[in-house]
Amino acid sequence: MPMNKGPKDRSAKCTVRRSVHLAALGSALATTGVVVLAQSEPVDPRVEGLTFLGEPVLASEVTAGQQLYADNCASCHGANLEGQPDWRRRLDTGRMPAPPHDDTGHTWHHSDRMLFQITKGGVGAVVPGYESDMPAFGEDLTDAEVAAILVYIKSTWPERQREFQAEVSANDTGG
Amino acid sequence: MKSIEIGFRPNRRKVLTAALSIGVASMLPRFALAASDGDPAALAFDGDTILLARGGLFVSDNGGRTWTAAETPGKVLSLATHRDRPGLVVAGLAEGGVSISEDGGASWRVSEAGLPDGEINAVAIASRNPDMIYASLRGDGLWKSEAAGATWSLAMDRPWLDDAERDPLALASIELETGMGGIWIYAGTEVGLTRVPDCFCRWQDVQPGNAMDALVAGEAPPSEAPLPGGEPILSLASSPSAPEVMYAALRSGLWASQDGGVIWQKRASIAATAVAVHPRDETYIAALLGGILKISRDGGATWIETGEQ
Repeated sequence: MPMNKGPKDRSAKCTVRRSVHLAALGSALATTGVVVLAQSEPVDPRVEGLTFLGEPVLASEVTAGQQLYADNCASCHGANLEGQPDWRRRLDTGRMPAPPHDDTGHTWHHSDRMLFQITKGGVGAVVPGYESDMPAFGEDLTDAEVAAILVYIKSTWPERQREFQAEVSANDTGG
Repeated sequence: MKSIEIGFRPNRRKVLTAALSIGVASMLPRFALAASDGDPAALAFDGDTILLARGGLFVSDNGGRTWTAAETPGKVLSLATHRDRPGLVVAGLAEGGVSISEDGGASWRVSEAGLPDGEINAVAIASRNPDMIYASLRGDGLWKSEAAGATWSLAMDRPWLDDAERDPLALASIELETGMGGIWIYAGTEVGLTRVPDCFCRWQDVQPGNAMDALVAGEAPPSEAPLPGGEPILSLASSPSAPEVMYAALRSGLWASQDGGVIWQKRASIAATAVAVHPRDETYIAALLGGILKISRDGGATWIETGEQ
């Protein structure tokens, strides 16, 4: 399902972000079994130079996203985000193979909002009628989990691709 | 180079004038052949100069009144030029890949490193980068060179339309934002128009800019008036001066769009096989209509035959 736009969209973004933070924090705590009491030190550091939907990204989100990617995406897009072999050539079905998500692909040309929509609602959510082998993950993953996968992917990009994609996201007015 | 006046509607006066002016009678049958409507043809503006590829390559510096024949490395099927690099001409060849001239067609270098053998039926130069060249290899896919033709790599497979892959018959890099940090590459195919962002994520239909808003809101989609379905789009053109203004050559006629290809209107009802638009004036068009080169200075509302000037 595509996200709403305008004020509702901003509200949805905040909801997604809060959910991501809480889920990531809970996951980090459960994994380590450590209760951190000292509030003077960051429990979950921000990832330098990385944002999603305009907000900072926490290290625990990236960690959670890496596992979610391995569980849900790697079978097609590759364990190392390398995509399917010969991904620029069409399959016999007429559909395109899964592209890479690393800096050799085109994922970093898309805004945060569009990446979220594609992952949650399928490619048809942004290109009506487009036929793709990629499912709409909104049925199986929460918004927070979708966001975590995307921040993991973004965390792997070199600086140039990150900066380019940040600018695309900043200029994405939702049209 | 040989000078020749093209009489697209031959009459005795023109033939005599042409023959006298060039003294090369052997050129006349060649022009007669070139004027047949079934031949592949291409047009381009290099600044104020008009280039016509049909049979051979011909150059006019005076709006089509007289022409000079230029040598080429092979049969030219497609042409591309760039507003920011006068003299740069990219030619797609029937055999031998892509040839590039940097002096308006006077001399050429062949560019084929990494490009498979085959027919280059469409070429384009990236509107924002004259060193980025796109070439459609018939039966294969869309190739790109990021280094002015020094090397080539596959950009993307051919578009998928009506349950089959379709060769781009025409390409145009058009300075319309995709929202993905780049611009669109439009392709005319044998069954219709499509486009791909220059990040090459996917071929997709041309849609109004607010189509997604309507989809999300569950509202009726914005109005569209596409080109006639199932008809080959033989040529596409857009001027950097107004990139949302596009022209398309189809057998049903010469069509124009004022909104980046969403709504089209017919501007000439004669079979069109090639079209080009001036880089600084989107109303200045050259087109092959019914096999005759015609010029319009008002966006296709009226036309004049160059041979009559």
